[in-house]
Amino acid sequence: MMNSRLLDDPEVVACVRTMAQALDERDEEGLAAAVMAFERTRNGMVTGRVRRVASDLQFALEHFHADARLVEMAQRQVPDAKHRLAHVLKLTDDAAHRTLDLVERSAPIADQATREAERLIGIYRTLRAPQELAPQLRDFLMLIARSIGEVRSNLAEVLITQGYQDLSGQIIRGVMKLIQELEVALAELLAIAGADASGNAADDIGGTGARRGFGPPVPGIDTAVGGQGDVDALLSEFGV
Amino acid sequence: MQNLSFLVVDDFSTMRRIVKNLLNDLGYPNVTEADDGNTALPLLKNGKFDFLITDWNMPGMPGLDLVKHVRADARLAKMPVLMLTAEAKREQIVEAAQAGVNGYVIKPFTAATLKEKIEKILASTPAAA
Repeated sequence: MMNSRLLDDPEVVACVRTMAQALDERDEEGLAAAVMAFERTRNGMVTGRVRRVASDLQFALEHFHADARLVEMAQRQVPDAKHRLAHVLKLTDDAAHRTLDLVERSAPIADQATREAERLIGIYRTLRAPQELAPQLRDFLMLIARSIGEVRSNLAEVLITQGYQDLSGQIIRGVMKLIQELEVALAELLAIAGADASGNAADDIGGTGARRGFGPPVPGIDTAVGGQGDVDALLSEFGV
Repeated sequence: MQNLSFLVVDDFSTMRRIVKNLLNDLGYPNVTEADDGNTALPLLKNGKFDFLITDWNMPGMPGLDLVKHVRADARLAKMPVLMLTAEAKREQIVEAAQAGVNGYVIKPFTAATLKEKIEKILASTPAAA
């Protein structure tokens, strides 16, 4: 290897040829000069090799820093991101439940007001004597009955809108699972590399895929049917 | 009809509450909740439920497995089942149909869609009528 590299070097070959020629001609001065030139060339090659070794060493040191970054990610940042996502999940869950509490408390109030307004409208209709206040009272009661009905319908809409918590929660859980798998993989990688990243890998949540479901499709990433209409058309092919 | 007993299975408590409230609004006050197939199946086997509404993607036993268990049980085989899920791949809907669901609603859904599907199922399944 070393010989072939030496012979590949035109300067070395030239030096050897000069030395051989000086030897043939028994030119001692020329031979000494050629030997000196050969030494210089060889020294230059050694310097080049040392430079390459230094460069390799530098690369190895940089690579070591990258491993240290992996340790940091596996030990702190990945569990940290997981906790942040869990916190987001808790926040949205709490907010959704708080909204649902309010809806559940408001709906019966609206229902009661509607019933009461309807009862009063009934009483009003049985009144025969035209009273001055009566038409205004009638209009007011009718307005109440209508607007409470609208409030009730809005509450139902608020209720169903909270379904986002389920969908966003499922997506967040999916990301959390991915992070957890990444954390385990990084820990294993680091264990192989001899770095210590133990103690942070959590339990495996379980298998994924077709049996368990894929979670809500995220636009631009997952393939899905176009909507409920497509589902209905598909089901009708199966007589459902 | 109003005395029908529903079991709503979903791992998200918010979604269970939403479905329960909508069922109440539709005039069905008898609603029980379960958070996955493993907790739902004993309830179904021991209780007298008339209608099952289940999610698909749940920890423990997923909804599709629950449907298969229900269809394999002689006493539950005819129970009306509505799958209410975010799973929306074509092959999944086909798989659910083959497993024996009576309806499939994808999330997010509207109150009108849920009402329509429940009424359609009730109209076409003699067991629940």
